[in-house]
Amino acid sequence: MDIYHNLGSDFTSILITLKLAIVTCFFLTLIGTPLAYFLAFKSKKTKPFIETIVTLPLVLPPTVIGFYLIVFFNPETFLGKTFILLTGEQLIFSFYGLVLASIIYSLPFWVQPLQASFEKIGRDTIRTSHSLGVGSLDTFLNVIIPLSKKGFFTSFIISFAHTLGEFGIVLMVGGGIHGKTKVIAISIYDHVEQLSFGKAHILAGGMLILSFIILLTLFYFNKRTVVRIK
Amino acid sequence: MSNLSVFFKGKIGNLFLNFEHHFKNDGITILYGPNGSGKSTIISALGGFVNSIETRIIFNGIAIHDTHKYPPNKRPFGIMFQNPILFEHLSVEENLDFVLKRNQLDTQNKSLKSKEYLINQLELNSLLKRSPENLSGGEKLRVVLARTILKHPNYLLLDEPMSDLDIKYKAKLLVFLKDFNKKFKIPILYITHSIEEISQIGDQIVLIKDGKKIDSGSVSNILNRSSFVDLTGKFESSSILEGIVSRHDQNLHMTTLDLNGQKLIVPGLPGKLNDIVRVRIRSRDILLSSSRIKTQITENELQGLISSIEIEKNSAFSELVIVLKNFKNNRKKQKLRARITTYNLKNKKLFIHDNVFIYLSSVSIDRQAYQSK
Repeated sequence: MDIYHNLGSDFTSILITLKLAIVTCFFLTLIGTPLAYFLAFKSKKTKPFIETIVTLPLVLPPTVIGFYLIVFFNPETFLGKTFILLTGEQLIFSFYGLVLASIIYSLPFWVQPLQASFEKIGRDTIRTSHSLGVGSLDTFLNVIIPLSKKGFFTSFIISFAHTLGEFGIVLMVGGGIHGKTKVIAISIYDHVEQLSFGKAHILAGGMLILSFIILLTLFYFNKRTVVRIK
Repeated sequence: MSNLSVFFKGKIGNLFLNFEHHFKNDGITILYGPNGSGKSTIISALGGFVNSIETRIIFNGIAIHDTHKYPPNKRPFGIMFQNPILFEHLSVEENLDFVLKRNQLDTQNKSLKSKEYLINQLELNSLLKRSPENLSGGEKLRVVLARTILKHPNYLLLDEPMSDLDIKYKAKLLVFLKDFNKKFKIPILYITHSIEEISQIGDQIVLIKDGKKIDSGSVSNILNRSSFVDLTGKFESSSILEGIVSRHDQNLHMTTLDLNGQKLIVPGLPGKLNDIVRVRIRSRDILLSSSRIKTQITENELQGLISSIEIEKNSAFSELVIVLKNFKNNRKKQKLRARITTYNLKNKKLFIHDNVFIYLSSVSIDRQAYQSK
């Protein structure tokens, strides 16, 4: 009975993890894509500054980001208050708190491959398109997006895989609450702490195989794309 | 007649552009000048892609760029940039359709510049299903040209379109451009470094150096002017002559031209009988003599009068301008620029206002496209 219960709890973690990765990627598409476009084509003076901010999560210890997010998610802050007003729930230790943390943490993984892909298409392509009487939005939707399919694919795969593997921030911001914010990485940690190596093996092995397949898919289909991670 | 007046002033990188010109003809205008003189920048600015400089563009009475400016996609120009780009996610035909779909014309002009016409003229049929990735430089260029025309522009701006093309196709494409220009009366602004291309298709020419206009006028005038020679260097100096086709020798593939009563035999079979044909003669390929040479060494002997002599300083050469004899007594004056050694000039005792016999080796005559009347 106990074993069955535990398997069920692991299954819940798996579902939460997948849901987190999918929702995060959805928001990254909306936020990261314009940001990548802006960095590739529009910004000049501000570019180094924005690039630095976007890249920070790559170099900062997850605990630092986690710490600041806890500070900002506090019900006393504007963000925390607004969220409670909207949902009646605290942002900290909630699933959406996790999503927000994941977006910030995975942003460089979305922006960088896509930005590289946009830069490869180049201003000349956009200029050509405009000179042929094609408007800006039309150019973005029907020239830039189709030409950067590989970039989107890479961004999605890497961000997805990266979100699956989060630990530090997720633990700090989400608290590892079972059925709510406990993702696979935390489940594994719990199993190891309880010396349940068998269960840890199942989850860890599963993650290993899944990540392997995801990356293999990426490199198989994207032979020529350089995954640029600073 | 189309009327394009432009004014650009400002600093772009290392270049200070200060260019003003009134393009007022339906023919082909060449924009000529050394690298970095601002030719491509002018085309970019016309297209609306240079925003940091003072700009005024008035086209047929409409202010395209003044206090108010049209966005690049609303301008009446069809631009072929120096490194033309095809959309690689689309096939050749889809590239054409992509532009056609967004630039539908009223039915009256549609039939003329139709897709089929261009596919036919530019021999694109076998390329239609292919991906741009697998096209050669020349094939790509033809597709880009067709796509640019399918935008139905009122003015074509071509930035060194032929630089990537093999000679055989180049000749064909130049003839196409010339015909296209005549047929549809769509003026063309054409950037090139090739004197061959200039003499072949140019009607008007604008010379530019360091962002400033140096000179402008008709091609046959400007090419004989010192402003042009200064830009090209003396070695490339040449003249353009116009003659009427009086005979085609189909067996030997030679054509006899009539230059106001003088005979000029050129290789190839350009034009039809009575067409006006342009030939270019390089100054360094001309031999002069004050008396007729009895044993002719070349098939071409012309007669003229020396109208000016310029002895170059610190050089072995002298440049002479010769007015060709007109035996038909019409008003048409044709000038030839010759470059010979000063040694030769002194030796042969050639002086200003002397009559001279001019000898041209047949190889010195480029095979030129022609202008049918």
